[in-house]
Amino acid sequence: MTAAARGSPTERYRRERPPVSRECGEELTRITDDIDDPIVKLRYLQKALNEDGDKSALVQLVPIPPARRAWYRLKGLRALDAVADADEEIAERTLAARKTARRVVVGASAAAMLFVPVLVAIVAWQVNRWRSEPEQVASVGSSTEANATAIEATTAPLSVPTTLTTPAPVEENTPVNQPPVAESLADDDVGIVPSMLWLADRGPDWELYSNGLRIETAYTVKGTPRDYRVHARDGKLLPTKLDRPIGILFHTSESDLWPLEPGYEKELRKGSEALLRFVKREQAYNYMIDRFGRVYRIVDDDSRANHAGHGVWARGDEVYLDLNSAFLGVSFESRWEGGRTLPITRAQLIAGRNLTHYLRQRFAIAPEMCVTHGLASVSPKRGLIGYHLDWARGFPFKAFGLPDLYAQPLPSVALFGFTYDSEFLRTMGERWPGLIAAEQQLAGEARQRAISLDDLRHERQAEYRRWRAELPTPAGDEPGLANRNR
Amino acid sequence: MDDRNDHGSESSGSGSHTGQSQSGTRTRIGLDVGTSKVVSARGDNISPTTDSQLNAFFDVPYSALHEQGLKANRTPFYRENDRLIVYGDASEKFAHIFNANVRRPMAKGILNPSEPQATHVLETVLSTLVPQSRNPGELLAFSVPAAAPETGHELTYHEETIKRYLKGRGYTPLAVNEGLAVVLAELAKEGFTGIGISCGGGMCNVAISYLSIPSLTMSLAHGGDFIDASVGAVVNEPATRVKAIKEETLDLTREGGDKIDKALHIYYDKLIEQLVEELGKAVQKTPKLPRNDQPMPIILAGGTSKPNGFRDRFEKALRRRSWPFQIGEVRMASDPLTATARGALVAALAER
Repeated sequence: MTAAARGSPTERYRRERPPVSRECGEELTRITDDIDDPIVKLRYLQKALNEDGDKSALVQLVPIPPARRAWYRLKGLRALDAVADADEEIAERTLAARKTARRVVVGASAAAMLFVPVLVAIVAWQVNRWRSEPEQVASVGSSTEANATAIEATTAPLSVPTTLTTPAPVEENTPVNQPPVAESLADDDVGIVPSMLWLADRGPDWELYSNGLRIETAYTVKGTPRDYRVHARDGKLLPTKLDRPIGILFHTSESDLWPLEPGYEKELRKGSEALLRFVKREQAYNYMIDRFGRVYRIVDDDSRANHAGHGVWARGDEVYLDLNSAFLGVSFESRWEGGRTLPITRAQLIAGRNLTHYLRQRFAIAPEMCVTHGLASVSPKRGLIGYHLDWARGFPFKAFGLPDLYAQPLPSVALFGFTYDSEFLRTMGERWPGLIAAEQQLAGEARQRAISLDDLRHERQAEYRRWRAELPTPAGDEPGLANRNR
Repeated sequence: MDDRNDHGSESSGSGSHTGQSQSGTRTRIGLDVGTSKVVSARGDNISPTTDSQLNAFFDVPYSALHEQGLKANRTPFYRENDRLIVYGDASEKFAHIFNANVRRPMAKGILNPSEPQATHVLETVLSTLVPQSRNPGELLAFSVPAAAPETGHELTYHEETIKRYLKGRGYTPLAVNEGLAVVLAELAKEGFTGIGISCGGGMCNVAISYLSIPSLTMSLAHGGDFIDASVGAVVNEPATRVKAIKEETLDLTREGGDKIDKALHIYYDKLIEQLVEELGKAVQKTPKLPRNDQPMPIILAGGTSKPNGFRDRFEKALRRRSWPFQIGEVRMASDPLTATARGALVAALAER
C-alpha cells in the first residue's frame, strides 16, 4: 500500500481506500476484540493500517497462509506495542490484548519451526519417489480410474479427464437418484489469492482476469438490450425498469460429447466449434464453457440471450418471470441423459467457478440468484415444472461456494401452483427436498384457507398468467438448442 | 463578522458545555455540519456533551421596534444593512409566525451557492457551538459529505471555507466522512466494520467501512428537505409546516391519516428507494469492497431516519436487492441526531 493510498493524516477519515486483505483483517480483528476502549481501538487500527502498510505487500508474497497470518499478527502486535508505549494508561488498557497476541505469535513461530523441517522432509521424500519411479507416470490412468470410480460411487457427478481414461459409461441400472451435492474442490487457500478481481490483461480476442479466468471474445455478439421489470410477491409490477443482470442461470448445451481421449482431437474441436457457431447464431447463452474449460462470451453481458424460455424464480419479495433478461445464461458443454447431467470436467468446474465469481462481483449477484435451468423451467401451457431438466439435479453448488438451491422451496410450485406429471417422476426418480417443501407450503396454505389444493392451484395459475401478461417483454420462445430434454 | 452587530447568547442550543475536556488539559470537539442542523459533541466518547443549533435563518426588515423586540426576547440575530437576520433555532419560530420558510446557508450538504448570506450565517451558527480554542491547534473533527455527482467541485469550496473558519478559531480541523462518522460512533464493538448511513436534511451519506477504513463512500443529494419540499408542493403547504408535522407526528408504521401524512409516506418511500438504488449502483461499480465473510451491520442515523417505521421500511427495501456481501443487523443509532458528531469526536480523540 503506498503512502498516497493510505492517505495523509488529514485525509484518512474521508478518502476511500482499498481494504486490507481478509487475512490481515481477521488477524487485526482478533487483536481488537480484546480492546474495549473505542478510542484506543481506533487509534490502534489507524496505527496498524496507516503507518505500517508498506510491509503488507511483502506479506502477501508469502505463499503459506499460516505464515502470512502469523506475520500479520506480528505486525499487529508491533503496532499495539507502539500505541501502548506512547501512553501508560493505554498500556494498561491493552495489556490483555497484547498478552494474547504475543502468545499467538510465539505459538505460531514455534509451530512454524516444527513445520518447516517436516515440510522439507516431505518434499524431499516426494522428489525422491518421483525420481526412483518414473514409470509410474504412465500408469496414472489406473489410479485415476480408481479415483473416478470412487467418486462415482460416492456422490459426485464430476469426471476428471486424463489422457488415458475414458469416462465410465452410465450403466442402465445406475440409480438416477443421486444426491444433488457434487464433489467439492480442495480448499482454495493454497497459493496467493488476489484480494480483488480485476481485468488483468486483454488481447484482441480475449480477456484475462486476476483470478485466472480467461474469456474468449472472438464469438461475442451484441443482442437485444436487457430491459425488464420485476413483480413483488403481492403481485405489484414494480415500476423500476432494470437493465442489468441480477442472477445466473446454469445450463447444459445438450450437444454431442466425444470421449476426452487422444485420437478424438479433431472431433472434439469440430464439435465445440460447431456448437459455438450455433450458440452464436441463436444467441442462446451469454457464456459457454467447453470441455477443456475454455470460457466463451457469446452474447454480451448487457444483452439478453434466449436461454431461459419460460421460467420462474424468486428471491425475498421479488419474483422474476422474464429470466432471459434478468439472468445471465451460462452453459456447460454437457448433456442431460439418463436422469442426470453427464459429468462435467474438472476444467469446466474450475472455469465455471471463476466465471461465477467474476459475474457475481461485477453485477453484485446474490448467491441464491445463481440457479439452474432445471429448477426454474416451467411449461405454462401444461402448468408443469421441469420443461427443461438440465441441472435439475447434480449441480455442484457447494463447489461453487453457493447455497444448495435443491433444498429451497421451488418458487414455481409454491407461488404459482405448478405441478408435475408421471413422466417427470419416472425421469427424476423422486422429488428433491425443495420441491417437497414447496408442495407442503402450498398444501398448508390450502388447508389454512379451507379450499382444495386444486382450487388453489387454479387460482395461482391464473395469477401467473395475469402476471406474465403484464410484462412489457414477455419471456421469449424456448431456445432452439435446449429442446425439452427429459 | 466585523461589520455585523451580534446579539443573543453564544450558546442557545439544547445542550450545555464547558469548553473543556474532563482532564481540563485539552479540548476535542466533534462537529456535524449538516444542512439542517449543526451538532457538536465534546468531552469523552462514553458520555459526551452534545449541543445543537438549527442551520437556518430568517430575515425581517429592520426597524427599531423589531430590533428592540428581538433584544428583549434574547433572540440571536444580527443586523445586515436594512435587514435583521435571525439565525439558529429561533429562525424556525419566526418562520412559523410569518407562515413562511426559513432560509438555509447550506443545501444538499454543502454551502448553498444560491444564498448570498450562506457563509456569514454558517459561521455565525458555528460560533454558537465552537468557542475560541484555549490552546492553539486543538483538534476539531467535522463532518463532510461524500461528493455527489452534482456537487463535486463545490464540496472542496465548502470544506475549505469551514476549515479556514475553524483555523481562525484556533483549531486544527480534521475532516471526517459523514457516513464513516456514524460507523465510528456506533460500531466500535464490531471493530468499526459495517455500513454507516446518515440521512440528514440535505442529503443521505453512506460509508462502507472495514476496520475504520472507508472503502466506499457515496451520497444522495436528497434528504429531509426534499421530502418537506415535495410534500409541501403537492399539498400546498409551506415546507416548514410539513417539517414540523413530520417531526412531531409522522409514524411510518401506520398508513392513512390526512393528505400530508399520505404524501409523507409516499416521499419517504421514494427517498428510501432512491438511496438503496444508488447504493446498489455504487457497490456494483466499486472494486474496493472488503472481502469479509461476516455479515455487515448497518447503522441508520440522522434526523430524517427518526420517524417510527423508517428502519423497517429501509431494511425491507435493502433486502429486496442482491448484495455482494451479507447484510447483518440493521439498527438505529443510539441517538440518531448526535451520531455523526459523536463519531467525529471519536476520530478527534483517537488522533494524537
